[in-house]
Amino acid sequence: MKKLSLSIKVLAITSTIFFASCSNLLNVDPRQSIDSATALTTQEALEAAVSGAYDYLQALRMYGRDFIALPEALSDNGRATNKSGRLQAEYQNQPNAHFSAGTWQLSYAAINQINLILDNAPKVNMPAATRNNIEGQALFLRALIYHNLMRVYAYDPGAIVTQNSRGGVPLALTPILGSDQIEKLSRAPIDAVYAQIYKDLDDAIVKLATTPNSRAPFYATRAAAEALYSRVALYRRDYANVVRFADAALSRGVGTFVTNAQYVASWRAAIHPESIFELQYVTAENLGVNEALQTTYTTLLAVGDRSRTGGFGDLVPTADLLNIMQAEGNDVRRQLYELGTAGRGTAEIECTKFMGKGGQPNLDNIPVIRVSEVILNRAEAYAMQNNDALALADLNRIRNRAGLPSVTLSGAALLEEILKQRRIELAFEGDRWFTLKRLGRDIVKAPPVQTVPFIDFRILAPIPVREIQANPNLQQNFGY
Amino acid sequence: MMKRLLHLSFAWFIAVLFASAASAQTRTVSGRVTSSEDGSPLPGVTVQVKGTNTGTQTDADGKFSLSAPENGTLVFRFVGLKTLEIAVGGRSSIDVKMETDEKVLSEVVVTGYGALEKREITGSIASVKGDVIQNLPMQSFDRALQGRAAGVLVQAANGVPGGAVSVRIRGVGSISAGNEPLYIVDGVVMNNSSTTNFSSSNPLAFLNPNDIESIEVLKDAAAASIYGAQAGNGVVLVTTKKGRAGKTEFNLNYYYGSVEPIRYMNVLNTQQWIQVRKEAIRNQNPALTEAQALSAALTGIRLAGNLTPEQIAALPTYDWQRASYRQGAINNIELSARGGDDKTTFALSGSYNQQDANVIAVDFKRATGRMAVQHQVNNKLRFETSINLSNIKQRGPFGSPNGGSFLGSPTFSSPLILPINPIYNEDGSYFGTPQTGGLAGILNQNVIMNAEYNTIQNITRQVVGNAKVVWNPFKELTVSSFYGLDYREIKGEYYADPRTADGFGVRGRLTSESEYNATFTANPIVINFAKNIGSDHKLNTTLATEYVQEVFEGISQQVTTFPTSQFRTANTGATPISTGGFWTSYRRGGVVGSVQYGLKNRYFVNAVIRRDGSSRFGNQNRFGTFGSVSAAWLLTEEAFLKDQFEWLDEIKLRGSYGSTGNSQIGNFDSRGLFGGGANYGNDAGIAPSSLNNPTLRWERQINSEVGLDLAFFNRRLTSTIGYFNKESRDLLLSQPVPWTSGFSSITNNVGRLYNRGIEFELNTVNIDAGGFKWSTSFNITKLENKVTRLADGDTVLPGNPSVRIGHPLGAIFTSQYAGVNPATGRPMWYDVNGNLTYLPLNPTDFRVLGTTLSTLFGGFTNTFSYKGLELTVFFQYDFGRKQFNNQNSFLMENGGRLFNSLVDIYERRWTTPGQITDVPRPINGNAEVRGASHLSGSRTLEDASYIRLKQATLAYNLPQDLLRKVKINRARVYAQAINLLTWTKWTGFDPEFLNLGAGNNGVVPQSRNYTFGVEIGF
Repeated sequence: MKKLSLSIKVLAITSTIFFASCSNLLNVDPRQSIDSATALTTQEALEAAVSGAYDYLQALRMYGRDFIALPEALSDNGRATNKSGRLQAEYQNQPNAHFSAGTWQLSYAAINQINLILDNAPKVNMPAATRNNIEGQALFLRALIYHNLMRVYAYDPGAIVTQNSRGGVPLALTPILGSDQIEKLSRAPIDAVYAQIYKDLDDAIVKLATTPNSRAPFYATRAAAEALYSRVALYRRDYANVVRFADAALSRGVGTFVTNAQYVASWRAAIHPESIFELQYVTAENLGVNEALQTTYTTLLAVGDRSRTGGFGDLVPTADLLNIMQAEGNDVRRQLYELGTAGRGTAEIECTKFMGKGGQPNLDNIPVIRVSEVILNRAEAYAMQNNDALALADLNRIRNRAGLPSVTLSGAALLEEILKQRRIELAFEGDRWFTLKRLGRDIVKAPPVQTVPFIDFRILAPIPVREIQANPNLQQNFGY
Repeated sequence: MMKRLLHLSFAWFIAVLFASAASAQTRTVSGRVTSSEDGSPLPGVTVQVKGTNTGTQTDADGKFSLSAPENGTLVFRFVGLKTLEIAVGGRSSIDVKMETDEKVLSEVVVTGYGALEKREITGSIASVKGDVIQNLPMQSFDRALQGRAAGVLVQAANGVPGGAVSVRIRGVGSISAGNEPLYIVDGVVMNNSSTTNFSSSNPLAFLNPNDIESIEVLKDAAAASIYGAQAGNGVVLVTTKKGRAGKTEFNLNYYYGSVEPIRYMNVLNTQQWIQVRKEAIRNQNPALTEAQALSAALTGIRLAGNLTPEQIAALPTYDWQRASYRQGAINNIELSARGGDDKTTFALSGSYNQQDANVIAVDFKRATGRMAVQHQVNNKLRFETSINLSNIKQRGPFGSPNGGSFLGSPTFSSPLILPINPIYNEDGSYFGTPQTGGLAGILNQNVIMNAEYNTIQNITRQVVGNAKVVWNPFKELTVSSFYGLDYREIKGEYYADPRTADGFGVRGRLTSESEYNATFTANPIVINFAKNIGSDHKLNTTLATEYVQEVFEGISQQVTTFPTSQFRTANTGATPISTGGFWTSYRRGGVVGSVQYGLKNRYFVNAVIRRDGSSRFGNQNRFGTFGSVSAAWLLTEEAFLKDQFEWLDEIKLRGSYGSTGNSQIGNFDSRGLFGGGANYGNDAGIAPSSLNNPTLRWERQINSEVGLDLAFFNRRLTSTIGYFNKESRDLLLSQPVPWTSGFSSITNNVGRLYNRGIEFELNTVNIDAGGFKWSTSFNITKLENKVTRLADGDTVLPGNPSVRIGHPLGAIFTSQYAGVNPATGRPMWYDVNGNLTYLPLNPTDFRVLGTTLSTLFGGFTNTFSYKGLELTVFFQYDFGRKQFNNQNSFLMENGGRLFNSLVDIYERRWTTPGQITDVPRPINGNAEVRGASHLSGSRTLEDASYIRLKQATLAYNLPQDLLRKVKINRARVYAQAINLLTWTKWTGFDPEFLNLGAGNNGVVPQSRNYTFGVEIGF
C-alpha cells in the first residue's frame, strides 16, 4: 500500500505541474495576419488597407470581368459564341444568369473595409493631407461600389417599375470586426442610397482637393470623384449636376481626349490615355486563361495574328452592333473589331480592346471612367435639358473624332444619336445594359433569343439566395 | 511494445502467484532449448526454478545447466515465446522446444497508452491484423482497410496510386470541421492533412503497409475518449512490426503486376457526331435549312461546309480514350530482418514500391527504410525506438487537384474530344499543337501531348520516428516517457511546357512549392499502475500527459518565359510572376486518467477522464473535459453458464457512454484578423480576413453504445453485434453571416446532428476437416445520419442547400427531371406542385432527392485452404450513396456544344413527335428558349452504390520438407486480382470517388490490378 500511495503522489504532482504549464504552452500567434482590433492604428496600415480596398475591385466578379463583360452579354451588344459555354446563359437572359453572388459579396466586403478605414483614420496621428487622401479615396470607392450595387440590384431613379421595386440595397456604414456587431440590414430606399452616394462624393471631392494628379489614373483623384459624380447624377436624372461635375472633371487635366489618329493606339497602350480612373493589374494579378477580358472577348493572342489561338472568344459583337458601326461609314472605332481564329470553332469578328496590354496574355488594365464617357454624360444631360447647341457640340466632338461628319439634330433624334454614339464608343466596356436600364428601355435581342421587356423581372439581378436565407430582413428582388 | 510489457508482467504474476518454499532435494539439471518452428537453438532464455530466485540463461547453443529440486518446476521464459513450465520429475536432462506466443498476441488489443486482453475490453474496437492486408497492391493502409472493419467506411478519392482516401468511422459527424479520424502510428500523432498540391496524395502513404503488425480502430467513446479532444471522429492506432528474440529471420518479398482500366465510355464516331450537331443547330434555329445546319456543323470543326454525304461517310474516327487510359505496371520489393536476444531485439526493413495509374503519366514510386530497436537495460529499465524514412515521388494527374485546367487532362477530356481529331500526324508528331491552332472543338488541347510534355509531380520526404523509455520501479508500476516526430518535406512542381496550350502563350510556366511540416508528439509522463488484489480484483489505472505541436510552412513561386522546353528550372525562366509563402501552427495539450477494474474475471468497468486544451480555441474556452464510462459482463464466466455447454465459449455484453471532441478547424479560426496579400498594383494591401470569436469551444460527440460479443463451437463462430448513437453537439460550424457585414462566415458552435447505426460482424470456420478449411468473415454497417439543429431556427444552412434539418448531411437538393415532352422533345421538370415545367426555379421547385452519404456498407471474405493452397475471395460493398455524374453530364450534351457524346444518349434522343424517351432533342447551347439546360436537375443524378469483387488471391505455401533442404523457412507464391468485378448502376467510369469540388470530372478512376508475388523467409 505504501507503493500505491507513492504512485498516487507521483501521479498527482506530475499532472498538476504539466497541467499548470499547459496554459502557456498553448499560445500560438499567427505570423501572416495581425489582430484586427489593433490592425488599423498606424498610417502605414491605413494606407495598406486602402490598397486592400482597391484590390476588391480587381476581382473577376467585379471589374475583372463582370462589370465590363456582363452589361454587354445581357444587353444587345454581345453575343455568346458557346465556345467555352461561358456567358451563354447571360446572353440568353436566362433567369438567374446575371450578376452573381460574388459581386454582392465582394462589394460589401470592400464596403466594410472602407468603413473600417473611415472609422480609424481620424484616430491615427498623421499629416492632414495624408488623412484627407486616405479618406477621400475611401469615400470615392464607397460611392463607386454603392452605385454599382444600385445599378445591378435596384431600379434607377426615374425608371422604376413600381409594382416590382423592392427598394435600393442595404446601406452598411458602420465598421464590423466581431460577430456581435453584425446587423441584419434591410434594403434602404433607392433615394436614400443615392443621397449617401452624393454625400460620399461631395466629401471625397473636398478631401481629394489636395491629392496630386500624379496618382491618377490608378488611384482616386478629385477628377475621378467628379467624373463619377457626373455618371451618378445622370442615373439620378440630375442633369445640372451632370454638367457641373463633367465640366469640373474635364478641367482637372486627368485623362486627355485622344485624336482620331491616336484612337486605335490608345487601346494598344498599357494605360489608356483617356482614363480618369483605371484599375491597374500587375503580373501577379493576371486573371487567367478562363475568364479574363482578353479570353472572354477574343481568340487572338495578338492583333492581326490569326495563326495562334489564345483565349475562348466567348463574347463577340452582335450583328446589330457591327451593322450600326458599318452603316456610319469610315468609323475608326470599327478598327477595334477584327476576325478571330478558327481555333475554338467558327471564326468570329471579335473585340480587341483588351489584348494583354500589360505584356502578358490576359493582363490588361481596366478603364473604369474615361474622358469620352464624361463628354457623353454631359451631351446627354444637355439634350435632356433641351440645350441642343451644347449637346451637339459634345456629340460632334465624339463623332468627328471617330471620323464621322458633324450632325445637326434636335429633340428625340438628338438624344438617340447621343445614345448611339455612347453605345459604339463604350461598347465592350460595361455600359450598355446599365444605360438601357436607366432609360427604362426594353433589351432588344436578335432571335433565337427573345427581347427582354423593361418590366421583366430579369432586369434586376437576383440577390444571392444564401443572403436571403442568412438575413430574413432582406427582401429578394421580384420574380426570383 | 505494450504487448511485451504485458507478457512480462503476466509472467511475473504467474511466477509470484505460484511461489512456494523450495524443496529439500536438489540436483543439477541441464538441457537445451530450441525453437519449435525450425529447431534452431534459443540463446538467452531465462530458466528459473519456480518460486525461487534460482535461475540462469541459455548460452549461444541454447544450453543451460542449474541445480533444482527433484520435485521442482522449471519456468522457461523468453520475450515473444510462450512461457513453459516443466516439472523436473527427477530428471537431470530436460530438452525444451519453445513456441511463439501467437495466442497471447492475438488476444491482446492495443488500446492507446496500453494494451488489454481482448476479454477485458469494454469499448468497441475493431482490430485488423497486418497479415490480412499483406501484399495488397495499395500504397497506404487506409485503403486496405476498406470493407474489413464494421463501422469504418473507406472511400478512395480516386484511382491515383497512393492517392487520397476518406475514412469515416461511424459516419460523418461534423459539418464544417474535419471528419478525419486521429491516426497514431506507434504512438506518434500523424498529421493527416493532405498537403501536396500537384497530385492526389495520402499522408499515410509513407508507411509500407507490409510493415504493419496490427491496426486497431477505436470506435466508441469508451475506447476513444482516452484520446479525448481529438477522438471525435474515432482513432486509428497502427502498430508496426517489432523485433523478436531468437534467430534472425529474413524475409524477401517481391510482387509485380499490371494495372488496367475497368471501363471505357462508348462514344460517338465522327459521322454520328456530325449528325447530332447538325440537329442541335437546326433545333435551336429552325430558320436554317438542313444544308445550312450541316454546313455550320462542319465548319465548326474546321471542315469544308459543302462536304458530300460520301465524303462525310469517309471521315475517320480516332479513339482518344485508348490513348489515354493504359495498362500500367506494379513492382514491389522488400527485404526485412527481425531478430535479437532476450535483451535487445530489432526489426529492419527496406522496400521499394512502384505503381502506375491506369492513365498515362500518373504514377507512384516509394522507397522506405525502417528500423525498430528495443533494449532491456535491466529488469527495471527499457528503451524502445523506431524510425521510418520514406521518399515518395508521384507524378500527378493533369488537371487535379491543382495541376492545370481539367480541360487539358486526359482523364476528363479523352472521351469528350471530338473524334475527328487525330492524335498524331502522319509523321508521328502530335496533332493539334497550339501553333497549329489546337484540336477542333472546345477541348482543343492534345491531352496525350500534355501528359508527355508537362511535368506535374510531388516529392515527399518523410521521417516518422519515436523514442520511449520505460521504467518499472516495482512490479505494479510502469512509468514511461515518449517522444515522436512526423516530419515532412514536400516539393511540388508543375511545369507547363511551352509546347502545350497552358504554357504556349507565356513560353512555359513553372509553378513550384516547398512545404515543411513538423508534428511533434510528446507523452512526457505516462504512468500505469496495475495490481491484482486476491484472485477476484484486478485494477489497472493509467495517467498520461500529452503535448502535440504542429508547424506548417511553405514557399512557392511562379516563373514564365523559358528559352526552350529543355529548360525546366526556375532560374532559367526570364519572368518571375509571383512568390508566395505561408506559416501556420497549433498546439494542444491534455491530461488523461483511466481506471479499469475487473471483478471475478467477469465484470469489467472502465472510466476515463481527459482534459484538453488547444490553441485553436478562443482564450475563454480553450479547455474541454471529456470522459466515458463503460462496462462489460462476461456471462459465460457466471456459474449458470460456465462449462454448462460445450459449444458455448463466450457471451459478453457491453455498454458505454461518453464524450469525445473535435477540433479540426483552421488554426486561427477563433481570431479576428487582418491578413496580408490584398495587394493592389505594386502596393501591399491588407484586409480583414476573419471575425473575432473568443468564445469558440470544442465540438463534442456524445457516444452511446451497446454491444454483444459472442463465441461458439470452440471459437469457430464468433460474432459482434452493436448499436451506437453518436450525437454531435456544439458543431464547429462555419456559420454563414450576411455578406453585408463584410464577412461570409464565422466559425461558431452551432447545430447538432447524429449518426446512429448497427454494426454486425460474423466470423466462421465453416469446414475444417481433412486438411481442408473454409472460413468466412462478414461485416455490415447500417448508418443513419441526420441534422437536427442549425442556428437561429434555420432549416437550411444559408448558401449550402445540402445541409438541412431533418435530412442527412450531403442532401441532394435539386429539381426532379420529368423526362421529355413527347410532342416537342423538350426536357421537363416537376415544379413545387408536382406539375410539369420547362423552367424549374431555385429554390422554389427544388426538393431533396437523396444523399451523398453511404447508408449501408461492409465486406465479405471467404478463405479456402487445402494443404499449402489458399484461396481468398473478398467482396466489398457500399450502398445508399447518390452522386451527380458531372463528367457524363458533358457526355450527354448530344451536340449542344463541341463535345463528343455517349452512343446510348445519341440513340435514345428524341427525334420525332410522339416518341417516348428520356433523352431530349439535341439543342445548340443545351437550353431551349425559356427553358433550363437539359442537363440540370436530377437528370445526371445517379446511384453510386456498388458491390465489388475487391480481392481474389490464390496462394501456395511450399511444403516445409522441401524448403528445409534448401535452408528456407517459408516460401509462398501467389496470384492476386484487385477490383476484378464490379456491379453498379453508375454509368461513368467508376462509382468510387470523392467529390472534392469538381465532382467526378477528370477523376482518375479505380483500376483493375493483377499481381504475382513470391515471399521467402530464411
